[in-house]
Amino acid sequence: MADVVRESVFRLQFPFQRTLGPTIGAFASALAEQTLIGVKVGDRVITPPLEYDPENGADAGTDFVRVGPKGTVTTWTWVPEPTHLHPLAHPFAFAFVLLDGADTPMFHAVNVGSVDDMRTGMRVEPRWRAECEGRIDDLEAFVPATDDGPSDGAGEPWVAPAELPVDHMEMDCDLTYVDNSAPATLIWMRALLDGKLLGQTCPVCGRTYVGPRGLCCVDAIELDETHLVEVPDRGVVTNFTIITPTPYPGQTETEPFVRCSILLEGTDAVLNQQTVLEIPASEVRVGLHVECVWAPPEERNVDDVGNRGWGVGGDCMRGWRPTGQPDEPAENYVERMM
Amino acid sequence: MPRSENDIAIVGYAISPMLRRTDQTETMMMLPVVAGAIKSAGLTKDDIGFTVSGSCDYLSGQAFSFVSNVDAYGAWPPINESHVEMDGSFALYEAFVRLLQGDIDTALAAGVGKNSNSDPSTLYTIEMDPYYLTPLGADPWSLHALQYRALLDSGKTTERDVAELVARNRASAKENIHAQVSGDYDVDELLAADYIRTPLRRHDLPPITDGCAAVVLARGQKAYELCERPAWITGIDHRIEPHLPTLRDLTTSVSTTQAAKGAGLDAGPVEVAELHAPFSYQELILAESLGLDADTQINPSGGALAANPVMATGLIRIIEAAKQIIENGKRRTLAHTTSGPCLQQNLVAILEGDE
Repeated sequence: MADVVRESVFRLQFPFQRTLGPTIGAFASALAEQTLIGVKVGDRVITPPLEYDPENGADAGTDFVRVGPKGTVTTWTWVPEPTHLHPLAHPFAFAFVLLDGADTPMFHAVNVGSVDDMRTGMRVEPRWRAECEGRIDDLEAFVPATDDGPSDGAGEPWVAPAELPVDHMEMDCDLTYVDNSAPATLIWMRALLDGKLLGQTCPVCGRTYVGPRGLCCVDAIELDETHLVEVPDRGVVTNFTIITPTPYPGQTETEPFVRCSILLEGTDAVLNQQTVLEIPASEVRVGLHVECVWAPPEERNVDDVGNRGWGVGGDCMRGWRPTGQPDEPAENYVERMM
Repeated sequence: MPRSENDIAIVGYAISPMLRRTDQTETMMMLPVVAGAIKSAGLTKDDIGFTVSGSCDYLSGQAFSFVSNVDAYGAWPPINESHVEMDGSFALYEAFVRLLQGDIDTALAAGVGKNSNSDPSTLYTIEMDPYYLTPLGADPWSLHALQYRALLDSGKTTERDVAELVARNRASAKENIHAQVSGDYDVDELLAADYIRTPLRRHDLPPITDGCAAVVLARGQKAYELCERPAWITGIDHRIEPHLPTLRDLTTSVSTTQAAKGAGLDAGPVEVAELHAPFSYQELILAESLGLDADTQINPSGGALAANPVMATGLIRIIEAAKQIIENGKRRTLAHTTSGPCLQQNLVAILEGDE
């Protein structure tokens, strides 16, 4: 039989598409031309440009000037083991680079052979990717400057085109978590694998929670194994919704389906997000008596059960089917709907 | 000095064990700490007028964990509750302001972080500027190494000074039952360690900690009813600098200086300062920005280098400063907390006990 899950790896990914506006869009559009710009604010040139004066929040305007391309390292560090998020796959430096003609440095990578090649005050110049699309990482990294001369064109005006060629950017979030199953979750998993439903009864208020939560959320006290009770795998639908699936990554449903809340007999907190079997969605109703349809023991697993929500049955419970009893009157569950 | 009905004090608190990895959820970490803070003030949950917590769902990776955490309050019948996606010290600030409205006389503020589920070297990149920093994978180790290098280049300190500071904090932490990292360390051995990001070594980084803290605040006469020697918050101020570290002089902390002025530090010396410096060298920047001299004892708890439950670390600084008054009879102490990369945001609170 499957075992409980003590530690689970969870990968959180979601895509952003960010609109850029008149200032960051101008910087991005210039990057696509392998050009670096700043914005003139008073007597300072801020690079990369901002929409506001960081000193006082005033509108920074769009008085853009070319900066660099050469610059001077004002502080630096060495990254001996890059992560998948870093712009270079081999050891490199991060630095603040004060571009010629700018009054604020920019953060970026410096690509040199070893940490011994880095020093504050060194002169660097950009190395661009072959294909530039208007992102900060079009500039793959700075590298040591090939000559000691100043930058050509630094300080010259840069006029943004009436319609910016780059007005948005894609940015994917990709994070990995390693979660561990809390003690109450482990108790719930073991019971599911045995084909049982467990709850905990608060000794103060007498409420029974399904599954075990480790606490009473009304009295704010801890509940432990001495408060465990086995609860019936029969109950009543107290609330439901019919979901018309829209396609998104991971969605396997294609037809409208039901998710309902079920209050088990003798308990005080519903199981959420449950599936009703054997009847069409249109016949699901509050007050409907249902019983659990268990998967055969050899097909049960709790891989999807974690700390992220109560009442999840993994692949142990197939769902719930009507018992055929007369519907329960609303007054018997109206305060236990959610 | 008699206190007015508008004066607000810390009258109770609790701190969880500081663990590298708990097997519990944030909610279950909070439950005994919230109960412990309320009990230490001699109250029950039904006596609390306002409740506010600080946490961040991205740390544990559980969506709406901050909503689940409300279960730890026993929020039935419904309570007045709020949340900040910041350290619990900023939750305390909200509770302080709420009490100033004068219609309630107690409040609870908590901070909780289950930090062990995620990897700080990748997680915090999404907290950065999404156009200029996140696409480059700007991680906290790199950004803080850049700040440390700038400080070294300014000539204000040396790597040896900073290693001595680390050894001093870890030795102080031996007396702190809530320390995760403590002990006697040889400075030469610390300096012999490899760099994580030059000039940062592992001992310059805070530990990864799961933990929680909570405090009870009371207003006016109520504070005397609940605590023999309340820690009065005589001033509290929070200042913010531009979000891009490239726009700031990283060798100083203007917002800390401003917050200290706003909180009334100028009115007299402080005996103890609890500074929220998750990266070792930041303690030097903060001490200078606050104008502290050798008469002020800094971080007798060992500070954030001893335990760093992100979202509670700052609140613990306030608790430690309050303990100096409530338990150790000190007259005037300072607590500092920070948020954002390279000391972007800073809060300073001045705490006083009665004569």
